[in-house]
Amino acid sequence: MADVLLMAQNLRKAFGGLVAVDDVSIQVASDTTHSIIGPNGAGKTTLFNLLTGRYRPTRGAVIYKGRDITTLPVHARAHLGIGRSFQITNVFPNLTVLENARLAAQALGKDNFRILRRADSFAAYTRRAHEVLEITGLRDVLAVPANVLPHGGKRKLELAMILASDPELLLLDEPTAGMASEQVPELIAIIERIRAEGRKTIIMVEHNMNVVMNISNRITVMHQGRVLAEGDPRQIAQDKTVQAVYLGELYDLPTGGSA
Amino acid sequence: MQSLTPSSRGGWLRGYWLPALLLVFLILFPFIVGALTESSPFGVARGDRMVMRGESVRWQSVLIEVYILAILAMSYNLLFGFTGVISFGHALFFGTAGYVLGLLLEYTALETGVALALGVLAAIAVCGALGLLIGFVTLRLKGVYFAIFTLAVAEMFFIFFGRWQLTRAEDGFAITDLPVWLDPSQSRISFYYVALALAVLTFLFIRRLVNSPTGAVFKAIRENEDRAQSMGYNTLNYKLLSITIAGMLAGVAGILQVILNKKVGPELLGVSYTVDPLLMTIIGGIGTFSGPVIGASGLHFLDVFLRDAELVIAGITIDIANIWALLLGVIFILVVIVFPFGIIGTWQRRRATRKQRAVTTGHPPSA
Repeated sequence: MADVLLMAQNLRKAFGGLVAVDDVSIQVASDTTHSIIGPNGAGKTTLFNLLTGRYRPTRGAVIYKGRDITTLPVHARAHLGIGRSFQITNVFPNLTVLENARLAAQALGKDNFRILRRADSFAAYTRRAHEVLEITGLRDVLAVPANVLPHGGKRKLELAMILASDPELLLLDEPTAGMASEQVPELIAIIERIRAEGRKTIIMVEHNMNVVMNISNRITVMHQGRVLAEGDPRQIAQDKTVQAVYLGELYDLPTGGSA
Repeated sequence: MQSLTPSSRGGWLRGYWLPALLLVFLILFPFIVGALTESSPFGVARGDRMVMRGESVRWQSVLIEVYILAILAMSYNLLFGFTGVISFGHALFFGTAGYVLGLLLEYTALETGVALALGVLAAIAVCGALGLLIGFVTLRLKGVYFAIFTLAVAEMFFIFFGRWQLTRAEDGFAITDLPVWLDPSQSRISFYYVALALAVLTFLFIRRLVNSPTGAVFKAIRENEDRAQSMGYNTLNYKLLSITIAGMLAGVAGILQVILNKKVGPELLGVSYTVDPLLMTIIGGIGTFSGPVIGASGLHFLDVFLRDAELVIAGITIDIANIWALLLGVIFILVVIVFPFGIIGTWQRRRATRKQRAVTTGHPPSA
């Protein structure tokens, strides 16, 4: 088994009396895509926010590369190489596509307090922004404000922005949420390409079972705040308990071929 | 690689001819008014000193007031329009700077030039420190809670200086100890150029700052603070920087105000020096460079022209001074309806949509 990049140990998060995540432990290996699935209210997004640092767990620990990052704030995690996307499209709406990407590119650099030089005079960041916009197919809309992009375009910009800072671990919160189904394959291709070329690890919360089954190496199924099952896509698809609570008729196991 | 900014095509003056023309006009303004009204831009000689009389000198004052309000509004816009932090206490910086300078000029035995230099530096430093302190204590609060806190601090200072016997409580005190070149009652034209220069420098500084990597983060915080944090920006530091710089610039405006009126009083800390820049920014265009300047000029000229005017409708004389606040309210509502993003902001948006339409339909944008 490959190195463990990120580990959650006995995570629990309670909001008042409501326990959203209860005693969840997962291990994510380097260079894999690890999906977290489960019905609505299973605690996926809460778990996700515990991993990104948005929430602090009531109990338990988050270990990244052997280091305890449980109490590390969001911005500090980014500096360790953890990038995240949001379920709700979360770009900077009134800034141009290029500005959005460049902000991501300069974030981990050392020039953020150079108040008297023009941002576009830092060629390295602009170049990096162009690169990631090229990868995500947004090269032709550089000067357009992000809010003008169609929904699918914004999702791609999200990916471009995470890529720009070249994180080792990408946390994707429902990357295909709200996308028209004909656009989904293109996004999947982009995600696959990112992982293959960049040797990146991806943790993904996703509802679209086709996406999950196609690109995951490992799947954790959550139900009512707890881990119900974990395994590779084939194991999960055949798991009777999982089928009972979640998959049911939603997903038919593809016949033949491996995922 | 394609050019990223449209204005970088052509000569360096391209795209800048309008502001350049405006600057030349403002530099020549005292002389133009002087020539038109046959008055001397230097005032009237009486014995061995100049007395500040005449149309040119009077209009210099009006423009100095515009420059002061413009600096104040630009400073407000840096915080509100570019960083997305709403403060209701901007008068705090404006008034405190005035008091610090006044105290050093009038309450110390220092030589005039030394007191002035120290006073200006101390005033700006105190404003920066106040901004940093208030920010540090409260910027973790979001939106309206932060705004309420700044309002409370500004009101505290207002009440304190309104009662402090040393600074003659609500009467305030006069500034008498100024070098001739900066004294608006001895040489207004030189003070006019000082104020103009500071307004231009403030404009250029803010534009440079907002276009810098730091300014990009300011805008990112305004647009979506969560997202900026998840990228790795410690957004609190940037908000602190923004409020510190905005506080210092508002201090510059306060310094100029105190010198122009040669008086320091608690009215400098009054809520109108918070509300005015807010209105000016909204009317001109939040988050635009020239918006606050347009807003400040527009509102102040309206004020000057209409405040003492009388309107005669069907034989009934209406004294505008009495209904000035009402009139301003109506104007404000009309502007907000016609220009929902402020005058400059709405104009820029319309231009941008026209360009986009041209791009999507494949036709090149018309000029």
